[in-house]
Amino acid sequence: MVLRIDSAYIQYGASVMAVQGCSLHVAEGELVSLIGQNGAGKSTLVKAVMGQVPLHGGTITVDDRSVSDRSFSTVRNRISHVPEDRGIFASLTVGENLRLGGITRKDKAGLAADLERELERFPVLRKYWSRGASLLSGGEQQQLAIARALLLNPRLLLLDEPTLGLAPIIVDLIFDVVAQLRQEGMTILLVEQNAVRSLEVSDRSYVLQAPGKVLGSGTAAELADLPAVVEYLGFSPAEMGVTR
Amino acid sequence: MILEFLISAVGLGALYALLTIGVALLFGVLGLMNFAYGEIIMAGAFAMYLFRDQPWLVALLMAIVFAVAVAVVSEVLAFHPLRDADPVTLMIASFAVSLAIQSLARMTVLPRTRGVPPEDFLSHRVDLLGADVSVLDLLTLALCGAMLIAVAWMMGRTSLGIQLRAAAEDFEMASSLGVRANLVIPSAFVIVGVLAAIGSAVLVARQGAVSADMGLQPMLIGVVGAVLGGMSSLKGAALGGFLLGAATALLESLLPTDLIAFRDAFLFSALIAVLVVRPQGLLSGAKVRVS
Repeated sequence: MVLRIDSAYIQYGASVMAVQGCSLHVAEGELVSLIGQNGAGKSTLVKAVMGQVPLHGGTITVDDRSVSDRSFSTVRNRISHVPEDRGIFASLTVGENLRLGGITRKDKAGLAADLERELERFPVLRKYWSRGASLLSGGEQQQLAIARALLLNPRLLLLDEPTLGLAPIIVDLIFDVVAQLRQEGMTILLVEQNAVRSLEVSDRSYVLQAPGKVLGSGTAAELADLPAVVEYLGFSPAEMGVTR
Repeated sequence: MILEFLISAVGLGALYALLTIGVALLFGVLGLMNFAYGEIIMAGAFAMYLFRDQPWLVALLMAIVFAVAVAVVSEVLAFHPLRDADPVTLMIASFAVSLAIQSLARMTVLPRTRGVPPEDFLSHRVDLLGADVSVLDLLTLALCGAMLIAVAWMMGRTSLGIQLRAAAEDFEMASSLGVRANLVIPSAFVIVGVLAAIGSAVLVARQGAVSADMGLQPMLIGVVGAVLGGMSSLKGAALGGFLLGAATALLESLLPTDLIAFRDAFLFSALIAVLVVRPQGLLSGAKVRVS
């Protein structure tokens, strides 16, 4: 198992419970989505995987190493995180942002080949290679953020709301890329509010309800059989034609 | 006359730009408003005094060694243990480091102001395209200009520079990409030490004296320049420092003799006017790290 979260509890301050007893897992080569409304605790959970917020209970392991162990840093270097705000360095050019993506890699030949592959996948990045990243549109910045994350050649890719605030045509492009990465065997945890599109591309999904509780999980077909999930989502995946 | 003024103004602007980059770099990377920056400058200046009988270049090299040593030791002993502390704690710690180094210098090597006789070559004047220019102004321009070009090259063209700029903009994101705090933070202190040393060599040449509290004014210039240009932008900080230096030289040239004493009042009134219009600084665009 690449990622395993067991009964995670995360608290902000003395009283705000953000995640309450959440458990989930992502197997190698799997695309798992985490669906839920604003404030459900999805992004908090992703930050906890990155060690950016502390756990107050439970465990999170990546490749059987706990995030709270010192030895986790060796595994953390193989996790790519595309945060909700994209984390683009506005004062750097597109090329410099991409260069940072491969900063920890020693195999320079492999890195060059991966860079070429990502520039093929996202041609706009080649076009704007020397342009300041702050001058890119939101959709272009998201492509840059994903390409940069992929240059790490990650063991686990965490995508946090990659289509948030983007034009429909860019949303299509991003979901096409996510589907493509799944085909390539990338292990992905996708956090999304766009439940229909997420269920379409994912192997399995977890529906999260505030404060960070798993309401249901499984394939789209399995989720369609859970009345609480159907009521929370406001639709049945089967009715929307999602059959995966 | 115009060329003489230009060399003097651009030289002072370049000196102030160096000082502000030293302040802004640590603020960006570490969230540290380093009030001990003045004592790093003082350490470099003390080396210029200690090695005053050696060739000037040897004294300059020793100033770099002393300033870098003080910068790195302050990082290891004071700031490294506080790496996860909030900016206010860091700032207070920097006050403590500043006072500790200054008191130590006062108790030991600099109980009173020490004179450093100017090098002969610095008191000369040369004819440049018909203008009578002082070698000191030329040296200020050449040394600080060369240093600014070197810093710009390093920041723009090297892997370390890109990592430093990324860390200065968003340390957490840089860290999640694999930028190592243990590389960029000590590197930033080394760079600050080198910048402070170059600044101290120019200041000693211009003032002809070294004292325990001599770093206070250049440190304040660095802070003010960085605020003017934008604390979260290294380019902005350099611009802020440059404009501050050039404006100082301009006021010195234009103000009537009886108003020269009030130069800083004019300068800082103009600064307040700029900050009223752009409170975030001239070039501030990136995020400010707050924790």
